[in-house]
Amino acid sequence: MELDSIHSFLIHPGKHLEEPPEISGTSVAKLGGLYDMLKRVFDRAEEECPHDVAFSADSEGKQHNECRTAILAYLKKTDLAHGRALAKSLQAVTTNKSGLGLLFLMKGTRKDETKIVVSRFPADSGIFAQEMEKELTVEFLERIFMKNAASYKAAVYSGKSYDHDFWKGKAGDKQINSAESYIASYWIRDFLHSDFLTPGEEGTRRFASAVREAMNHSTDTKTKEEITAFCHLLPGLKGKVASAKGILNRFHVSAATQQQIKSWFRRESLFDEGFQFVPDELAKFLAFTTVELSNGGLLTAATNNFDKVFAKETVDPSKEIVRFSTEGSIVDQRFKKVKT
Amino acid sequence: MLLVLATRLEAHLRTVFDGCARIDRISVRAKSVDRFAAKAEKEIDGKRKYDDPLTQIQDQLGARIVTFYKSDVDRLTTEVMKYFRHIESVQIVPDSESEFGYEGRHFILFIPRDMFDDEVKEDESIQFFELQIKTLFQHAWSEAEHDLGYKPTTILTSAQKKRLAFTAAQAWGADQIFDELFREIGSTGAEHQVMG
Repeated sequence: MELDSIHSFLIHPGKHLEEPPEISGTSVAKLGGLYDMLKRVFDRAEEECPHDVAFSADSEGKQHNECRTAILAYLKKTDLAHGRALAKSLQAVTTNKSGLGLLFLMKGTRKDETKIVVSRFPADSGIFAQEMEKELTVEFLERIFMKNAASYKAAVYSGKSYDHDFWKGKAGDKQINSAESYIASYWIRDFLHSDFLTPGEEGTRRFASAVREAMNHSTDTKTKEEITAFCHLLPGLKGKVASAKGILNRFHVSAATQQQIKSWFRRESLFDEGFQFVPDELAKFLAFTTVELSNGGLLTAATNNFDKVFAKETVDPSKEIVRFSTEGSIVDQRFKKVKT
Repeated sequence: MLLVLATRLEAHLRTVFDGCARIDRISVRAKSVDRFAAKAEKEIDGKRKYDDPLTQIQDQLGARIVTFYKSDVDRLTTEVMKYFRHIESVQIVPDSESEFGYEGRHFILFIPRDMFDDEVKEDESIQFFELQIKTLFQHAWSEAEHDLGYKPTTILTSAQKKRLAFTAAQAWGADQIFDELFREIGSTGAEHQVMG
């Protein structure tokens, strides 16, 4: 796709300031090293923005979103004034901790489709070294804006209709799992007025359902042990943004077990979709663990308590014979019928 | 495509709300061609309301959850917000507090990504569906009123308007009283889930 125009704005922090600093902006010429670099950013935006996001409704639940409105206004009339409106809204949510940043707005078109990439390069400091014939000069530079910095952020939207497309897009934020919630919220929620396209509960539900099906349908003991092991660790992911694949890689789950879990996703490509993990949702699906023994015994307990309720010891490893033991007073005893 | 999506979406909603108390029914329908055409041709002040109806009409897929009591509508609204991404969530009520008429909770939601595959491609499909949450009485009134088939341009007599409003008030009153009783007495016998 052709990259038609680029505007850039230097944004000083302005959150909670009655008179935030002025925002200076410029058009970027369509030639030279900077253009070439930004063209690569524009072309690769979908790959470098892993999170599917959607604009949120307004506080009254109506189909109105200020950031989306500002982006569409910029697309309809692509000039510094409309770009500065977006820059001002970013400034209004930028704190001193987020610091100085350089905002780029890149717009492209192909036939009837329009694409916009919004990216923020954070300010950093560095050293400029210049080698002359017989000498080296070094200089300290305060305002360098680096794309590969840990706090680079971007978002990309595309569509054909300004009025009815552009409700969803993709966002990239390497700080998304920051322990500081205001950093994690800054780009997607505070500036873009958006949220993940798949809500956390739904993403967690989808993942938990696939894990449960893989566990219940697998006949491989190793797979079941692997699943049991990582499930104990999942509550520690509360609030973290990750995909099913990312979660399983994090816990070094084997490729074979990962494939079994992936096969239970209704749409396998969603195995790679990020969502915000909600442990309470997981608990609904994996609430109880039942172990069936070859002697006909059935042991059931709450999943998060199973290992405390039943102590397990290996009796004969060559025959995979184990012994479970437990103690307590009898609270209830009942018959259950067979499901037909 | 819409029929395939409707079937999948209904199954998905039933899975998501499985175990949720006091749901009478969950249904999803694809808008019929006739109804779509009628809506697409709507005019306002002599001008077509929709210039790109295939994209603009957001209720080509319509879902409905019917529940028992008014407080259940709020409870289910919270659940919907957890599992679906919305661009609209509004309570539809009559224009004036002294009027009685249609009521219901309406959402415009993104179709969950699980619904798409090679048969129904995400990039080539509609993005949204409409979800309504209503009580049994709100649903009964709106179904009966809709079946009368009068159009917005139909001029009802004063007596007809009053009688329609009266039935809406009766439905509203029944909802109020049942909700109060539910909160006072509880639903010890009614924790079953009936999903038609």
